[in-house]
Amino acid sequence: MKTQIVSSVLTLGILPVGIAAQQPALTPQDSAFHALNRLAYGPRPGDVQRVAADGVMRWIDRQLSPEEIDDYRLAEREGQFQILDHDRRDLAAIYTEAQRERREHKLAADTMADKDGGSPIAHRGKRLTGEFAELAVVRAALSERQLYEIMVDFWTNHFNVYFAKGADRFLTPDYIEHTIRPRAMGKFADLLLAVAKSPAMLFYLDNWESIAPGSVPPAALRVRARPIFGRRPGLFGPMRDPARQDSMRRRALEGMPKGINENYARELLELHTLGVDGGYTQQDVIDVARIFTGWSIERPQQGGDFEFHDWAHDRGEKQVLGVGFQAGHGMDEGVRLLKMLAGLPATIHHVSWKLCQRFVRDDPPDGCVDEAVAAWRRSSGDVREVLRAIFHGPDFWAPDNGRAKVKTPLEFVVSAARAVSAEPDTSPRLAQVVARLGEPLYLHVAPDGYSEREAAWVNSGALLDRMNAAVALATGKLPGVTVVLDSIVGVGDADQVIGEVNEKILGGTMSENTKQVLGRELAGIGDPIQARALAVGLALGGPEFQRQ
Amino acid sequence: MTISRRVFVKSGGLALFSFGLDPLFLARAALSSYEPLPPHAARSRPVLVCLFQRGAVDGLNMIVPHGDPTYYRERPRIAVPEKDVLDLDGYFGLHPRLAALKPLWDSKTLAAVHAIGSPDATRSHFDAQDYLESGTPGVKATPDGWLNRYCQHDREHQDTPFRAVAFGPQLPRILAGTAPSLAIDDLQAFGLRAPQPAARDRLTRAFEELYAASATGLLSTSSREAFEAVQTLKRLDPGQYRPANDADYPRGKLGKTLLEIAQLIKADLGLQVAFADVTGWDTHVNQGASEGQLAGRLAELGQALAAFTRDLGERMGDVVVLTMSEFGRTVRENGSSGTDHGHATAMLVLGGAVNGGRVLGKWPGLDPAQRFEGRDVAVTTDFRDLFAELLARHLGARDLSAVFPGFTPDPARFPGAIRI
Repeated sequence: MKTQIVSSVLTLGILPVGIAAQQPALTPQDSAFHALNRLAYGPRPGDVQRVAADGVMRWIDRQLSPEEIDDYRLAEREGQFQILDHDRRDLAAIYTEAQRERREHKLAADTMADKDGGSPIAHRGKRLTGEFAELAVVRAALSERQLYEIMVDFWTNHFNVYFAKGADRFLTPDYIEHTIRPRAMGKFADLLLAVAKSPAMLFYLDNWESIAPGSVPPAALRVRARPIFGRRPGLFGPMRDPARQDSMRRRALEGMPKGINENYARELLELHTLGVDGGYTQQDVIDVARIFTGWSIERPQQGGDFEFHDWAHDRGEKQVLGVGFQAGHGMDEGVRLLKMLAGLPATIHHVSWKLCQRFVRDDPPDGCVDEAVAAWRRSSGDVREVLRAIFHGPDFWAPDNGRAKVKTPLEFVVSAARAVSAEPDTSPRLAQVVARLGEPLYLHVAPDGYSEREAAWVNSGALLDRMNAAVALATGKLPGVTVVLDSIVGVGDADQVIGEVNEKILGGTMSENTKQVLGRELAGIGDPIQARALAVGLALGGPEFQRQ
Repeated sequence: MTISRRVFVKSGGLALFSFGLDPLFLARAALSSYEPLPPHAARSRPVLVCLFQRGAVDGLNMIVPHGDPTYYRERPRIAVPEKDVLDLDGYFGLHPRLAALKPLWDSKTLAAVHAIGSPDATRSHFDAQDYLESGTPGVKATPDGWLNRYCQHDREHQDTPFRAVAFGPQLPRILAGTAPSLAIDDLQAFGLRAPQPAARDRLTRAFEELYAASATGLLSTSSREAFEAVQTLKRLDPGQYRPANDADYPRGKLGKTLLEIAQLIKADLGLQVAFADVTGWDTHVNQGASEGQLAGRLAELGQALAAFTRDLGERMGDVVVLTMSEFGRTVRENGSSGTDHGHATAMLVLGGAVNGGRVLGKWPGLDPAQRFEGRDVAVTTDFRDLFAELLARHLGARDLSAVFPGFTPDPARFPGAIRI
C-alpha cells in the first residue's frame, strides 16, 4: 500500500511524500544518482536521467525483483567464460591432475633441470581461476540486475571463504554459482543452511574433518576415509615404489581426523549469525561443533559434494544457548540448530545492522536498523523485504547519508568501468586492479570478510593506486578492457569537455576547484583526444568519484 | 585534529611558495624544506619494527619447551623431536627451521618472551587481533590502534611522512588513528605512473591539487600523506638499493618487506615505527613438526630476520624487531594433526638494545592444572607490559597511560626485554 503510493507519486517525477518532507533539496536527479550509487555499482552514461525520468522508487522496486529483469546482454557475455562450462567435478579433476603433476614434477626436480612455465593443465587451472575473479567484475559491471549483484557480493563477503585454501580452489566457483547466487535475494535461513552444507565452507572452516572423538569409519572406507584435498602426499599420487607406498598409507592413516574441530562452529555463531556479542559461551561453541560432526565432503573424484557421515557424528546430547538437542538425531540436529540460529534476535539484529551499514552508512543509524529488523520479523527473514524497508526508510534518503560512504576497491573499479561504458573481456585485468587496490576477490583469508569501514582500505598507497587505475582506464591502457570515450564525452574545448565529464561521469557533483584544476591542466595540452582522456582520468581518480 | 597540527609543523617553508593556493596545498609545498636528518641525530633515533604473525602462531613449536615431557605426550604427531630442537637454555629450544636466528641468540641480541598474551579469554582471531592492535583487550569500541596512539602522544619527534609506515596494501588497525601513517605496498611503485618523469610530475601535481581542495575526511588526510611521501621517495630512488654485507633476503613477501624497511631506516627519513603482517600461522590441520607447514613459515621468518640484521649491520643498535601474534594454540594437538585456538604464545624481540640470549617471562608449566581452562598455555605476561617496555625503554615514550587507556604499565612487570 505504502509502496504503491510512493511509486505512483514518483512516476510523476515527484519525490515520495515522506522523503520530500525531509529533504526538499533532493532533486529527482540527485535521488537517482544516490540510488544508482548504492543499489547499483554507479551509473552508466545516461542512467541518472533514465532512472529520474522513470521514477526512482519504481526503479528500486524493479531491482528488488531481479528475476523479472531481462539480462540477455550479460548472459551473452557470460557465455564467453569457460569457467561456467565446468562443474565441480570437472574443476576437481583439473585441480587434482595439476596437483599430481606438481608432485611428480617435484619428485623429478632432483634429477631434472627445474623448468619454469608449468604444464598445460596447470595453466588451464590458473586461467580458470583468473577468469572466475574477472567474471565477478564483469557481472557487476554489465548486469541489469544491479542490486542482485550487490547482494551476491554482500553474502559472498558475509559467508567468506578463501579461494586459495586447498580444495577451495575448485570448490569456490561451485559455491558462488550454486550456493550463494540462487539465494542472494531469498530467505536468510535457506542461505544459512545451504552455506552450512556447502563443500567450500565445510572445507574452509575445517568442519569436513571434525568427527566425534573415537569414532571410526566403516572398514571399507577406512583407507580412503580421509579425502586427500591436495595438501599432503596423496594416496592417488604416483605409487611405483612399494616402500614409499607403505609410508604414504601410514601417513594417511596417521593424518586421519581424530576429534572435533571448532572452527566452523565458532564462526557460525560469531560471524554468520549471532555476532561477536551474541551471548554464546565456549561451551556453546563446543556443542555446536559436536552437532556438526559428520557434516563432510565426498572425495574429489566423486565430485566433492556434501556428504553426511553418520559414523563420525557425536551421539551424545548437546545444549546450545540453553536449548537441548536430544541425542541420536544425526544430521537433523544441525538443520534444527541452523533454523533456530536464523531466527534469534541477535542474528536478526546483526545481519540487519550489516545490511544498513552496506547501504546507508558505515555507522548505521539505529532507526534504519530497527526498520530492517521489523521487516525481517514480518517476513520471516526475507532479504528482499528487509532491503525494501531500508530503501523506503528516511535514513536511506537523508542528505547526510548521501555520498557518506567511500567506494570499496570493487565498487570503485566497477563504477569507473561503468562510468566510461568499458567492455572487459575474459582476461583478469579488472579483477587484478581490484586486487591491487587492496581487496582481491575471493582472497580474504579470514572468515570475517572485508570490512565495510572505509578506514580498512582508504590509505595513502591505495589512493595513489586508484589514481593510477583511473588514468590507465581513461587512456585505454588497461589491456583487455575496451573504452571508447567518443560515445561519452565529445572532443571539444576545455569547458565543454569539463562540463560533459561533470554531467556524465560525476552526476553533476564536480566541485569548483576540480573544474579549475581540470581547466588549467587541459589548457596545457595540444591534442584534444589526450586532453579528453586526461580529464576523464582526473575525474575518475579525483576525490568526488571516490564517494558514493 | 591532525591536519592543522601537521600544517603548522611544516609551515616553515611556506614563504617559498606563494601560488595563492589554499593552505592545505601549502602543506605539501612545505615538504620541500625537508632535508634528511643530520646523520648523527638520526643514528641516535630508535626504530621499532613490529611483525604481526596474523593467525595465531603456535608458540610451543616456535620456542619449544623440550625439557617438559608433557609437551611430547600431548603432541605425539607434531612435537619437534628432541634431537631436532636447537637448545637454548636446557629447557627451551628453537624450532630447527629457525636456525638462522641461533647466532643472534648466541650474541645476545635475540630474546623470547614466553607465555605472553592478552588478559582477555577470547579465542576468536578477529577479537584477539582487534585487542592486540587496539591495545585495549576486552574493549571493542576503541577507535584507534596503540602504535598510532603512541605517535599521537609522543610529540618529541619531528613529524615526517615516514614516521609510521605499514607495509602492505592496507593500513592495519594497530596504526589506525589520527596520527599520520603511511601504507606502502611497494616502495618502488609508490606514486603515480606515467611514461616520462615530466608527465609523472604533472599528473602528481594535478591530483594533489584536486585532493587538497575537494577531499574530505579520511580521503583528505590519506591523500596528503600520499603526496608527501611521493615527493620524498622521488629523492630516495629505491630502485638503486643493494643490501649491505651480502645480506640474502629470502624470496617472498616478508623478505621484500624487511628489505624495504632496512632501506627506509638507512635513508634517515625519520622512520620510527614500521609494521608488517606475516600470515600463514593458523595451523588447524597438518601443522607438521620439524618439517611441514609451520616449519616452512618459521624458516622464512628466521631467514628474513637474519638477513635484515646483517643488512643493517651496526645500525641494528638503533632497531628493535618485535614479533607478535593474537594468541597461541592448544597444548594438545587436535584430531587433524594441527592445533586449535589457544591462549598464551611466544614473542621474539631482536635488536642491539635487547637483553638477549634468554627466554623471558614467567613460565606457567604445561600440566593440565597449570593451563588456562585446562587446555592452553596460561598468560603470565600481559602483552601490554612488553609493548609498554619497548615504547618506554626503546623509543623513550613518557606517557604510557594515553597509549594503553585503562591500563597502568608497571616497570616492575616489564619482562626485561631491553637492556638498561
